Amino acid sequence: MSIEKRILARELWLAAARPGDIVKPIWFLLLVISMVPLALTPDSDSLAEIGSAMIWVATLLALLLNSEHLFQSDFSDGILEQYLFFDRPLAWLVGLKLTAHWLLHVLPLILISPIGAVMLSVPGDVSIALFITMLVATPALTCFSGLGAALTLGSSRSGILGALIMLPLFVPVVVLASGVLVRAMDGSETLPLLALLGAFSVASAILVPIAVSLAIRVNIGGSN
Amino acid sequence: MNLEPLKLKIARLSCERDYRLLFDSLAFTLDAGSILRVAGKNGAGKTTLLRTIAGLYEIQEGEVLVGDQPVSEAMHRILYIGHRPQVTGDLSVLDNFKYMAGHDDTSLKFALDSVGMLSYHDSLVKELSQGQGRRCALARLWCSDAPIWILDEPYTALDVSMIKILDKKIASHVANGGICLFTTHQVPTLSEFQTLELGCVN
Repeated sequence: MSIEKRILARELWLAAARPGDIVKPIWFLLLVISMVPLALTPDSDSLAEIGSAMIWVATLLALLLNSEHLFQSDFSDGILEQYLFFDRPLAWLVGLKLTAHWLLHVLPLILISPIGAVMLSVPGDVSIALFITMLVATPALTCFSGLGAALTLGSSRSGILGALIMLPLFVPVVVLASGVLVRAMDGSETLPLLALLGAFSVASAILVPIAVSLAIRVNIGGSN
Repeated sequence: MNLEPLKLKIARLSCERDYRLLFDSLAFTLDAGSILRVAGKNGAGKTTLLRTIAGLYEIQEGEVLVGDQPVSEAMHRILYIGHRPQVTGDLSVLDNFKYMAGHDDTSLKFALDSVGMLSYHDSLVKELSQGQGRRCALARLWCSDAPIWILDEPYTALDVSMIKILDKKIASHVANGGICLFTTHQVPTLSEFQTLELGCVN
């Protein structure tokens, strides 16, 4: 097996061994969505208006929730430092790990968003726009939360700290995404904003792993 | 299996941690086929030295050369086993090992058999004892083609029979032209090795 295959296979085995890491954020997302009509209003017209934004915010929080574990246990087990001894650039291996994380932990959240959309009576075309926006924007969000996790590896309570550090980077993505949703509700053109979001994701998928690898190196250099 | 003959050269290596000078202008060369035991009291800087030589720590002053390359470019020639478990509790022995060594199933099973863990290959590592977990981590030595082994406290938690097996493995590694650096607080049972005593410089 090549190094790449081994890293991806290990993420799969880990996901199978720790199903809670996948189920918990989904559970959280569904819980938030099902609370909205109870707490706000059961009126389907008003729900339709705020529904897609609620699903977005809940997904963002769920994503932050599960990024906490991205590197922490591998770091304390000494698995992460072994990445440095592979005959590959660390940034490339980190990119693989982030990709696996997106596929195993973020994609399920996106896949259940149509269910959330039905629960909040979001109209069909908006719900499709929501789904596409999430597909396009979450790679960038995954990269940023990975950077937050890597920067705070050495500290306890790293989850909240990482999220705080990364908050400013989330803002442009959320603003663009909500722009797409507003336009979809008006029935106007969404493609330009989606393209911009896509560009954001592609750029962060290329650049952020480099930053993550530097952060990991620094944290390994400061640990025993 | 013969390894490519490599030299490990340490020149003018100094390290300061938390305003304490751990070692200053350390210089030595290890030829293919040599074993070095790094000795010293707790806190003398054994782990720091090993991690610096392995390339995990940024070199503050001096250089570490593997062959004629700086260590940062030659880390794939090093096998490092440190204090941390190096295995994942939630995975089975075989899965952990498949990930670390990446060889085909027969050579993996041979390696696990060598450390006496083959009959446990389906068990989760978190269900094993500490010594058994350590055996799993050490099983990598049987699948490695890295010429330089850096082992930080490899004997911790091992029983007498495993210590013998490990000594034999290290001896055969250096007989094939490898280099081994290790630390231990126990009386080493290896037959031939050099010792580097680290003491507080000031």
